[in-house]
Amino acid sequence: MLAHSLFFYVFSFIAIFSAIMVTASKNTVHSVFFLILDFISISCLFIMIGAEFLGMIMLIVYVGAVAVLFLFVVMMLNVAQQKKQWFSSFGSSKHIPLGVLISVIIFFELIIVIGGWKYKPEVFSSITESQNIGESNTHSIGNVLYTDYIHLFQLSGMILLVAMIGAIVLTFRKRAGLKRQSYFSQISRERSDSIDLVDVPHNKGVDIDG
Amino acid sequence: MDKLNIIYPEIFISLSIMFLLLLGVFKNNSSNLVISLSVVALIGTLILIFGYPINTNLEIFNGSYKIDYMSSYMKILTILSGIFVLLTSLKFLKIFKILNIEYPILILCSILGMMVMISSNDLIVFYIGLELQSLALYVLAAFNRDEIKSSEAGLKYFVLSALSSGLLLYGCSLIYGFSGTTNFDEISYLMNNDQYGLTFGIVFIIVGLAFKISAVPFHMWAPDVYEGSPTSVTLFFAVAPKVAALTVIIRFLYVPFINVIDQWQLIIIFLSIASMIFGSIAAIGQKNLKRLIAYSSIGHMGYALAGLCVGTNLGIQSSIIYISIYLVMNFGFFSCLFMLKRNDKYFENIEDLSGLAKNHPLISLSLMIILFSLAGIPPLAGFFAKLYIFKAVLHQSMYYLAIIGLLTTVIAAYYYLRIIKIMYFDLEKEKYDKDYNLGLKFTLTVSTILILFYFVYPSKLINIISQINII
Repeated sequence: MLAHSLFFYVFSFIAIFSAIMVTASKNTVHSVFFLILDFISISCLFIMIGAEFLGMIMLIVYVGAVAVLFLFVVMMLNVAQQKKQWFSSFGSSKHIPLGVLISVIIFFELIIVIGGWKYKPEVFSSITESQNIGESNTHSIGNVLYTDYIHLFQLSGMILLVAMIGAIVLTFRKRAGLKRQSYFSQISRERSDSIDLVDVPHNKGVDIDG
Repeated sequence: MDKLNIIYPEIFISLSIMFLLLLGVFKNNSSNLVISLSVVALIGTLILIFGYPINTNLEIFNGSYKIDYMSSYMKILTILSGIFVLLTSLKFLKIFKILNIEYPILILCSILGMMVMISSNDLIVFYIGLELQSLALYVLAAFNRDEIKSSEAGLKYFVLSALSSGLLLYGCSLIYGFSGTTNFDEISYLMNNDQYGLTFGIVFIIVGLAFKISAVPFHMWAPDVYEGSPTSVTLFFAVAPKVAALTVIIRFLYVPFINVIDQWQLIIIFLSIASMIFGSIAAIGQKNLKRLIAYSSIGHMGYALAGLCVGTNLGIQSSIIYISIYLVMNFGFFSCLFMLKRNDKYFENIEDLSGLAKNHPLISLSLMIILFSLAGIPPLAGFFAKLYIFKAVLHQSMYYLAIIGLLTTVIAAYYYLRIIKIMYFDLEKEKYDKDYNLGLKFTLTVSTILILFYFVYPSKLINIISQINII
């Protein structure tokens, strides 16, 4: 139990620290890296409370896709002049009061939600699905996702396919006169295709084309 | 999962999407081949739909996906419209140099989404289908990406449609929160009358759906998007999504919420009246034919909604007949639009039609028939479509709706007749090219004949539709 709470404090500390660093660091690339660290520690916390599916999805979707996309976008921006300074100066930002206000509102909302949960725990048990003991979350999600909701699962796949086709249709341009490497013809080339041994008669040229 | 055979059409169309995508990627210059194969795939899907007994009521995936007579009929309409869009648009795409493999594939994806919408009996399934079809439609609207109007149309449609999807999803979450389930049948069991939260949910979902069928006051996107998109995509916009969205409206309002009809009836009546009035008045000043057809489609949706607000099976049936005939008229109209081509340039203004009758008597004859039918002049099909709607409305003694409908028909007749006058009595212009392809000729001929001779056998369509009983 001690190890459990120790790990909890370690991960929470890292999560809070990196969340602060996301906003405080001057270099946007560092911000994105702290964001990734934040996501990873939060997914560790999810795994610790037994929500392993949520934790893994967090890793795959947020770290694997979203944060890397952010990184690409940030790297395309011009961030050269920001490299020297580690922290953005607090005086220059005018948005801190607004940010504090929103944070306070979110904090009170959390208090209301958790308070409701503490006072009336039976409300929550009535709207949650019962789960077999000894069956992991992933297992029980898979049990319904691949049986009762298989058609929706497949159709969501079709939606993603359409999104992909759409992105290609709207952005891909075929350039004329572009020379591409053709691996297949390179590898399948034989010595006899490219080398021609000719007997060169003395004092006469060779007709190469013939 | 022993009942998987009832969703073979959907499975087949998804597999053909993936196959055609691979074929198009790995084979160079295969656009023509992919388009023809897409038509074949759609025909195959049609055959699969006809393959099982369509008169039965089948459910799959815990009742969240429903195959019944209405869904089969609406799916057939959607797939037919897909086939005709692909048949008529080949030449157009070639001239605009946008004949890419993605075009037919996106249309197939969109049709798959519509089929899911049509069969949905659950809020989640319906939402996923809606997103699938509209995502494909955003890309199609911006397909001619080098032209600024097309990009504008795509972006405009994307932003506004995302907004309406958000409202719709909010409505879904309200309904789920107040009833505890997303399944339409279960909602109807669990519902008690004093749940006002459910009414809010219904309102938000109706707003989202009204946006998709461009009913007033959620119509603002329609004229710009219709004008900016490539004409073949405009044709698709004008027909297929409306069929799917109308089916969802019918299923959503009439399966779970028929008991609270007093809550939503007034909303639908308002949407219907506003669309009829706005569609007929705003179209008068238009100069561009595509904008004109956008306003005319707003008006026509008003009539279709008038059939829906009466709350009887007769109303639903009249509405479905209306949308079927509307489909045929639009195909004819757009085929004529595709024929206005001179030296690889398409013309889409009303004055380009001036004196068309002298140079192209056949086209102008069929365009005249189509326009008369759109205006609702007997004995053409459009007249009967309106007649059934008015019959259903009067059956429930909603006289004011019928009177407003008749008045707006008269106003709308003005701009249809003006086009005919320009075609027949104004000065002639240069001749247009005559190299129509087979699909175009076929579509125009079939639609004109259907409109012209509908009155000979009206019972055929009525017999089919009268088997649709939702309530």
